[in-house]
Amino acid sequence: MRSTITAEEAIAEAEAPPAARRLSVRFPSLTRGRVITGGVLLGLGLIPVGVDAARNTTFWEYIGAYIAVWAMLELSVVVVTGYGGLISLMPFSFVGIGCFATGLAVSVWGWPFWLAVPFAALATVPISVAVGAASVRLKGLYLAIATLTFASALGETLFKWEAFTGGQAGHTIDRPKLGPVDFSGGFAFYALTMAVALVLVWMVHGLKSSRAGRAMLAVRDNEREAQALGINSTKTKLTALVIGGALAGVGGAFYLALLGSPAPAGFQSPYVDVSSVLLVVWAVIGGIEAASGAFLGAFALIVQQQVFQGAEKLFVFIGVYAALVLVVFLIFRPGGFVQVVKIQSERIRVNPARGIPETAGLVLFNVIVIWLIIHFGTVATKT
Amino acid sequence: MTTTHPETIARDPHAAGAALSIEGVTVRFGGITALDGVTMQIQPGEIVGLLGPNGAGKTTLFNAVSGFIKPDAGTVRLDGAEIQSMFPYERVTAGLGRTFQHVKLFRGLTVYENLLAAQHRHLSASPFAAMLRLPSWRRDEDEARELVERMLDTVNLRPWSQRYPWELSYGTLRFLELASVLSLRPSVLLLDEPATGIQQKEVEQLGPMLRRIRDDTGCAIFLIEHDMGLLMGTSERIYALDFGRVIAEGSPKEVSADPQVLESYLGRTRRAEAAGA
Repeated sequence: MRSTITAEEAIAEAEAPPAARRLSVRFPSLTRGRVITGGVLLGLGLIPVGVDAARNTTFWEYIGAYIAVWAMLELSVVVVTGYGGLISLMPFSFVGIGCFATGLAVSVWGWPFWLAVPFAALATVPISVAVGAASVRLKGLYLAIATLTFASALGETLFKWEAFTGGQAGHTIDRPKLGPVDFSGGFAFYALTMAVALVLVWMVHGLKSSRAGRAMLAVRDNEREAQALGINSTKTKLTALVIGGALAGVGGAFYLALLGSPAPAGFQSPYVDVSSVLLVVWAVIGGIEAASGAFLGAFALIVQQQVFQGAEKLFVFIGVYAALVLVVFLIFRPGGFVQVVKIQSERIRVNPARGIPETAGLVLFNVIVIWLIIHFGTVATKT
Repeated sequence: MTTTHPETIARDPHAAGAALSIEGVTVRFGGITALDGVTMQIQPGEIVGLLGPNGAGKTTLFNAVSGFIKPDAGTVRLDGAEIQSMFPYERVTAGLGRTFQHVKLFRGLTVYENLLAAQHRHLSASPFAAMLRLPSWRRDEDEARELVERMLDTVNLRPWSQRYPWELSYGTLRFLELASVLSLRPSVLLLDEPATGIQQKEVEQLGPMLRRIRDDTGCAIFLIEHDMGLLMGTSERIYALDFGRVIAEGSPKEVSADPQVLESYLGRTRRAEAAGA
């Protein structure tokens, strides 16, 4: 996102006749929406650093990197399901392909990590094309079921193929280096993944206002009408799947770098299905139709997991809590966190006297819920 | 399996220069023959009406011409070129535009974005150009928005440009759909009951509007309509369809006096009127 306009642009804009200026309004460097989105994402991204600085730990840097990597994975759901309208319940299988393709390239073939990332993205393409072939004939629920069986078939074949997965323990790689910069440290890796995640959010956001992105939204909303307007729906679905798969592949590469050596069992049924459903659920909670929703969804997911991990006594209720959150969102804010941010910032703008306390109350309510969960969930240690 | 109708397939003298030429098109759904060797010609810039009772096969004919149904027999030509093996989206590139009986459009997109989506065939930037904000994407977007701005004024949709389809009246939706299809710059435009569900006042505006579209763009218009005032007042020629066959063809006056048309479609009142006249 550019934050300033150049002198030439400013002059051109000032000199342009009113009609043309109205056209040029579409590429403003700074709009309210962008400031809010950028501010919220950056602010959330920086929370872990703040917590660490305050408590003198490095644990939250790891969590921050976790959020960033899951944001990359969520982006694949945004493109495939949010933009393309294809209900795929196998996004985590694509993560696995990216993960082991990277592992193979780095630890067996000795490639540098940076070359393995595009390789991971490319490695997902054949499977995307196969799902695309299915999506031409299957819609909605039927496609969802087909992708579930696809995922378990991959789990029994590709993710049991030891030459690809590196055996039961998977491949082990070190965190990447770039020239003199070493990303193995907690903060450096956190900064790297966060930067990559935000760039990918920016890229997916740009896709939405383009020929290909609008074709995806059109096919999602009304395939017949889209065809009548000259849109090739098969090619459009395939594009969404290939881009979504590639994003999951890139996410998989960083997933491997984050965890060091994830085991292939995590990409076999039933674990892979759980992770895939988790991705879809939290994409919806974040806001499945917006790139920034992927980031917000990943943030909420990881925070939720950490809160319940701390609250041991209540940990068994983590699924109940997630279901409750999902249902509340689907009923009241189907656009997810993105819609919440939009509505609240609009209310603050229209009537600050009401909007600000209301938003503050909303934030406070969530903080109290988190506090209650931690308070009643933590096993008391006897002093 | 195909029934041939030598008399209907016999070439019309007008066929050579026709904008849309339908030759012996037959469509069967199981045992039912929805279209039975239909042959029609539409000249460039002509406004032609299609008349017939419910179930006569009017929409089936549109679906067969626009590629949503594969005919069992027959040929469809657009500006002389055969198009029946093309996908619907390819027929759009060939110059065919169509609207649907039930307007839905893209409910997740605003009116402005709906019109942007309709500019698809005029744009070329790849998804990667968009993701990296390359100059080719920027040129593409500039062009798309310029086209939409022009279309908003042409069809008077500017007040609603930031609204979503579900916030609009059915009449406005009809105009939005028309604007979307006009964005394709078709040489032949198929309109499936454009006046259904819109107010009488808007229906009255529709006739002159269709003529203006024809005059401005030179496209031929093929019109299915149950509003007799609009159909008779706008069409220069009318085909009447019943049980999948063409039962009459001619000027609005001729067709509305045709005994078969009176029997199958216009009904007794009109017949009495015609008899009284």
